[in-house]
Amino acid sequence: MTISTAPVSDPVATDAPPAPTRRRRPGHAREWWLGAVLVLPAVVLAVLFKLVPLVRGVVTSFESSSGFGGSEFAGADNYTRMFDDPMVLTSFRNALLVVATLPVWIVLPLILALLIHQRSPGWKFFRAVYFVPYTIAPIVVGIMFRQILAPDGPLNALLRFVGLQPLAIEWLNGRYSALFSLVAVALWSFFGLGVMTYLAGLATIPEETLEAAYLDGAGFFRRLWSVVVPMLRPTVAYWSVLCASGVLIWLFPLIYALTQGGPGDATMLPEYLVFLTTFQFLDRGYGSAIGIALFVFVAVLSIFSVRHMFTEGTRKPR
Amino acid sequence: MFRRRLAGALAAGMAAAALLTGCGGDDAADGPVTLKVLTWEPGGAEYWKQVKTSFEGSHPDIKLEMQSVPFDKYPEVQGPYITSQSGPDVMANNAGLELFDRRGAYVPLGDKAAEINKDLVTYSGACEGFDTSKTCYGVPFSYQGNVLYYNKAVLTAAGLNPEQPPATWDEFGAACEAVKKAGKTCLALGLSGTFPAYWDFPEIARNYLTEDDIRALLAGKLSWKDPKMVSVLGKLAEITTKGWANKNAPSITMLPDGADIFQRGDAAFAGTIISDAVNWEAFGKALGDDKLGVTRWPAIDPAAPLAGKFSGIEGAVYGVTQWSEKKQAGLEFISWLAGKENGELWVKYGKGQPLNKTVDKALLPSSPAFLKIQELVAQPTLHAGVMLSGPEADALARGWQQVTLGQLTVDRWADQMQQALERSPTKKQGK
Repeated sequence: MTISTAPVSDPVATDAPPAPTRRRRPGHAREWWLGAVLVLPAVVLAVLFKLVPLVRGVVTSFESSSGFGGSEFAGADNYTRMFDDPMVLTSFRNALLVVATLPVWIVLPLILALLIHQRSPGWKFFRAVYFVPYTIAPIVVGIMFRQILAPDGPLNALLRFVGLQPLAIEWLNGRYSALFSLVAVALWSFFGLGVMTYLAGLATIPEETLEAAYLDGAGFFRRLWSVVVPMLRPTVAYWSVLCASGVLIWLFPLIYALTQGGPGDATMLPEYLVFLTTFQFLDRGYGSAIGIALFVFVAVLSIFSVRHMFTEGTRKPR
Repeated sequence: MFRRRLAGALAAGMAAAALLTGCGGDDAADGPVTLKVLTWEPGGAEYWKQVKTSFEGSHPDIKLEMQSVPFDKYPEVQGPYITSQSGPDVMANNAGLELFDRRGAYVPLGDKAAEINKDLVTYSGACEGFDTSKTCYGVPFSYQGNVLYYNKAVLTAAGLNPEQPPATWDEFGAACEAVKKAGKTCLALGLSGTFPAYWDFPEIARNYLTEDDIRALLAGKLSWKDPKMVSVLGKLAEITTKGWANKNAPSITMLPDGADIFQRGDAAFAGTIISDAVNWEAFGKALGDDKLGVTRWPAIDPAAPLAGKFSGIEGAVYGVTQWSEKKQAGLEFISWLAGKENGELWVKYGKGQPLNKTVDKALLPSSPAFLKIQELVAQPTLHAGVMLSGPEADALARGWQQVTLGQLTVDRWADQMQQALERSPTKKQGK
């Protein structure tokens, strides 16, 4: 018997995956190019209609313009000016008050969607009716509610009729009642979209899970908080992002038709101030600076939800 | 080979298209030129229909394409056109600072201005600094200004003499108390938007300012903290704080909401204008010509030099846009607007006050209110409202809303007005 001293091949090495080859699979490059070509139109559109206007807005915000004449570089003047402008400060304060109503925007449609989803009496009717306000153009909604909220309008007539005379106030005349009315009208106009969004999310929850919770004796709110909300987290996050940005950029047509930012500055929000400054005061640079400030404000508000959605979306299944 | 032929055919096609469109120069030679006109249709749709028919009839080489926008939405539509330097060939603006604000959008008329001016009662409002020797940017054809309309039936029901409307501030206050006791609103008012600046402010300002002051206001050289200006704001505030106007005034617009209150017969007075919309003709139709009275706003200080004058201004001014490729046709159209033919259409269909002196007097309406207005306009002065910049007009309306609701003092309002003046880009330009 001879003992060989020749090196024995490493058994581990045979189990290891083969070293990556430098050569790509023959179809790989073609697939990559095909993917790029398919994505290209979307990238071009995004650059043209999102990135370019944004960059243009940023550039304009550093310019000073007089009326419709030429413009010149103004450094950060437009931005520093905002801190001394009471109208800008009030508009952002009003924006914060509007943002404070976000829980209502998120929870109310969820409850209504759940009631529809569990086939409460009349669910088919309500499913259709809730969505109708969303289909009415916001400018029409604004004009409509100007009449409804008038001191002698139908809302106050109804309140007086049912004996709630003290509640029949001049809705659009008070500092806080005007802002509250604006938000309430916006909620009326948009909650149908929230209901639809949640219904789409609810459709992904297995019936058996909800039934099991029901059979285990869980009531409506227990099922809501312990079953529905955890399983609906991605949808809630999506709707939250939409609302957080939406309450600050959806309201323009309603402000325009309903209050024009008044009385005084009671319903002045940054998006309306951007419009007013740019097109009525003819101060394009300053209007752009307020617009960029609004963009940052909305981005900061949305970033937490977007991050959460990204984490959820990229988490690998266990 | 085929590709080469295709490329050749495409190149030839493109060259032909370029010749037909771009290289045709100003005003295409083949076929009529179509002029796009941005207007809020002062005088009403019927008048503008007549303008189109008459002008196209006498100018077969030019067609008019009207883009009509409601007056209170007009700046929002026009602003983006001007910012992007594109859009209509001819546009309208109110004479005064509104036009000066936008003068960069219009072609200066040069020598043509004098030719247009020769038959007009007045023309300065279309020119820089209300001075016809300076650059003029457009053409007016109507005369505009403020009066106080009143409903004789409401005054009678309140125990007042409809043939002797209140002439002083104190008499107006007393009349308002009587009207309120009779269950009606005294002054129909809407404070949202720019109407307070155009329609109410000049009527109070006449009692405190001279014409030089008004020119200083235009140039941005009259401080809002000046005691005269604070007094003007104080008297404006009195209108609402003394309860003379409808309670919802802060949250409604004057047009249509405020005017509706008067047209429904629910208010004794409405301070509006003499031409275009909400004038003697519209109110006469709603209330009856025999029920409609018209007077000057009550004098606060009857001894003030301008207290007995009429705040007059040329109405809408039409100019040719800088970016128009049909400037010659545009100029022809606006020159025609100032002429006798359009002046007579304006009287007949627009029911307004013509600027052209050669208009046939037999065509003028016989309404008692119109005839009274003819008396009032005979003593004109500068219109202080059209001297305000966008930020000033906005701050005037918002401040008045807040003062009415008890959220602001008059002194603080004056501070806000001064801040608005300081951030008015167009007034900075004048300094």
